[in-house]
Amino acid sequence: MSHAEKATIFNKNEAKVNWHDKALWYVREKRDNAAHNVKEWEYLRDLASAIKANVLSDLDTYLVEFEANALKNGIKIHWASDAEEHNAIIGKILDDNNAEKVVKSKSMLTEECHLNPYLEAKGIEVVDTDLGEYIVQIAKETPSHIVLPAIHKTKEEVDELFQEHLGTKPSNGNPEYLTNEARKHLRGKFLKADVAITGVNFAIADTGGIVVCTNEGNADMGSHLANVHIASMGIEKIIPKEAHLGIFLRLLARSATGQPITTYSSHFNKPAEGKEMHIVIVDNGRTEQLSREDFRASLHCIRCGACMNTCPIYRRSGGHSYEATIPGPIGSILSPGKDLTKHSSLPFASTLCGSCSNVCPVKINIHEQLYKWRQIIVKDVKQPIVKKSILKIAGSVLAKPKLYDFAGKSARFMLKYTPRFMIYSKLNAWGKARELPEIKNENFDQWYKINRKK
Amino acid sequence: MKVGLFIPCYINQLYPQVAIATLELLEKLGVDVYYPKGQTCCGQPLGNSGYEGDAKGSCQVFVENFKEYDYIVGPSGSCIYHVKKHFDIIEQTPEVIKVRNNAYELCEFIVKILGKTDLGASFPHKVGLHKSCHGLRGLHLGSCSERMDPPFSTEEDLLNNVKGLELMSLTRKDECCGFGGTFSVFEEAISVKMGRDRIQDHLDNNVEVITGADHSCLMHLEGLINRNKQPLRVMHIAEILNSSI
Amino acid sequence: MGRDSILKAIKQHKPDLLPLPEIDGARFDDDVNLLDIFKHNVTLVGGSIKEIDKTLIDQEIKKQFPDAKSIVALAEASSLGTISVNKQTNPHDLATIDLAIVNGAFGVAENGAVWISEKESIVRVLPFITNDLVVILSKEQLYLHMLNAYDAISTRDRSFGVFISGPSKTADIEQCLVIGAQGAMSLTILLV
Repeated sequence: MSHAEKATIFNKNEAKVNWHDKALWYVREKRDNAAHNVKEWEYLRDLASAIKANVLSDLDTYLVEFEANALKNGIKIHWASDAEEHNAIIGKILDDNNAEKVVKSKSMLTEECHLNPYLEAKGIEVVDTDLGEYIVQIAKETPSHIVLPAIHKTKEEVDELFQEHLGTKPSNGNPEYLTNEARKHLRGKFLKADVAITGVNFAIADTGGIVVCTNEGNADMGSHLANVHIASMGIEKIIPKEAHLGIFLRLLARSATGQPITTYSSHFNKPAEGKEMHIVIVDNGRTEQLSREDFRASLHCIRCGACMNTCPIYRRSGGHSYEATIPGPIGSILSPGKDLTKHSSLPFASTLCGSCSNVCPVKINIHEQLYKWRQIIVKDVKQPIVKKSILKIAGSVLAKPKLYDFAGKSARFMLKYTPRFMIYSKLNAWGKARELPEIKNENFDQWYKINRKK
Repeated sequence: MKVGLFIPCYINQLYPQVAIATLELLEKLGVDVYYPKGQTCCGQPLGNSGYEGDAKGSCQVFVENFKEYDYIVGPSGSCIYHVKKHFDIIEQTPEVIKVRNNAYELCEFIVKILGKTDLGASFPHKVGLHKSCHGLRGLHLGSCSERMDPPFSTEEDLLNNVKGLELMSLTRKDECCGFGGTFSVFEEAISVKMGRDRIQDHLDNNVEVITGADHSCLMHLEGLINRNKQPLRVMHIAEILNSSI
Repeated sequence: MGRDSILKAIKQHKPDLLPLPEIDGARFDDDVNLLDIFKHNVTLVGGSIKEIDKTLIDQEIKKQFPDAKSIVALAEASSLGTISVNKQTNPHDLATIDLAIVNGAFGVAENGAVWISEKESIVRVLPFITNDLVVILSKEQLYLHMLNAYDAISTRDRSFGVFISGPSKTADIEQCLVIGAQGAMSLTILLV
């Protein structure tokens, strides 16, 4: 289904749309307030963007440097060209450790690689331990937002899910009670886990260490208790120096939720004594995106979700309408690079208002990339014949002033004298909820000819 | 200073009163203004739909029409933005570069080039300003709520000098109205919802007249207001700046 | 397998080298009272903070946590510890800890975070698995922002370290903020 079709379904429940819109707008406002409290916010964005641009221009060198430093510190490094290799590597590590129980903290990359179904098919118990991810996991859904995975769920829905899966008492969706029940349940999982899998927010070339940011503390509970810690990272997560964290950590949480920093920013440089630490470095289409000059800056993304919170379309259509691992504006420029046909409606799910590019902490020109994807999609993906021919005809009419003059006049004539039922037919998407402009007797050309003689 | 008046296609055909107000206003301000014949369209609807390759002809027509003028001024931020931003698809001859550099949205031309903010207009109404995205985030007619820059607004500078006009503040100062060209029909549900939400913000803040520097957004909002028979009027900013008691 | 093909693809596809930007740290300088801002931000992120005389630390902790029984006290300023830990301690054995009292290396004013490395926590999981966390911090050890903070730890012995800003929290159920997700339920900073 196209984004427009999914969005139309989402909009059947206007009260829910309003709630979703307001909840995310509130996060956007918190982001604004947090950014206002930082001296030189725009300079921070400039620096972050320039650092990321430098990284992409020398990515192979940085990855090799990162690998060498991590190995020196006793971390095991693996490389995966695609999702399949990524999952197989993790499967092998689990096998080597006779692991049966895995706890995971948030990682959009493992979502992208569909790691959970892969591990479950191997008979391994996988528990997502971020509360929002836990909710979508037991609901058998996917995250609808990269920072707020369960933002599409009401507290009453969570209440019912927890009654079914955790045996909680009905609480009218009391968030404190439900969170505390999840805490107790997940404690047990952390204590029994053989392996903890986390994502990576930043991988630092000059130290070989990684930084993982959470608010709940779930990444730490998992990785410090289990004997084996596996961290999955996309190749673009590299930053050159640890000192650069001073830039990125100032931007990340403020952009994401309006917090000055996440509760926990954990720096893993060496495995704890007697334990194992693995890092899986994943390509899965990223080097291909790197090759696309117009779109490579999409790899700057630090997954803060600010573009989703500010996007007026995302707020009113929900994350699932994008049918992509990463929804919203950033997802709409990343996904077409993976599967142009499947995601061909996404770059059109935008008014090109540009708010996404303005909030982006690493200054990705998201709305400009949406425009550029559109130019590619109409060439490479079969378009509805009507849309295509109308726009092609328009192109040739607009190139010929005389023809345009005639077409304009006849269009106005049609609008003025065509019976209302024809203009407002079911085929007319404009007229379903909107009136057409009232047609005046003359256009400006005619007025000018009569009223100004130069 | 010779100024070429650029009247976007839909304003020419559907909103001649906006074009007339723009022309009269520029004349009132003592500008030597001409309206070149044979104007069609800047090509924006094609570009935004993915067919910018088919818009090369209309870009050439545009440049041909305006190459002899010192400034090109039009009452539509998004069309001007398109000229400045997306006319890179045709060969960048000195003429093309000149036209792109000298294309101005009406308000910006008045404030920046003419250096005027008090135009002697009067309009005793409660007015809500719709800041169109391409004018705001594209042409930087004002500061954007997302960025931590010093606040300013070209349109507000002009409206605040209109006698009797009360500029109402909005809850969401610069959220998109949902028009977006062909977005308005291909993503109809979201487009309509966005427009309705914008209108509600103006109603909640006691606005009588919604104005803006881009009539395409206003056309979308007006279509909704008229269908739902809401107590709001929609006027282009040129009409307000050109009005007197 | 993956490694060589990935590195080869990057070499082939990467753009011409773009320079790393010079960071003009002076632009972030601000003439402000670090202590006031730090206190404000610790409270903002859901922590509590109190300036206290070094000799009254245990008295204050007992007052705040009268029911705490299993206590790990690694800060030398406290003698309330009931359980001793060392590098060999099995982290699972800390599952029932009520209270941990650790030193903070330093604080960051702009976000209320404290830096705690393995040197301070001995067992990595301690500050997360404990029900409540008390951090003893010198008020001389405050930095304005994260760039300064990374300067301060640039020569450390790198194994594990964490910036902790407030107690564990989540807003994953309808955006309602709930304190106490998977990590510590509370964070108290005692400034000496």
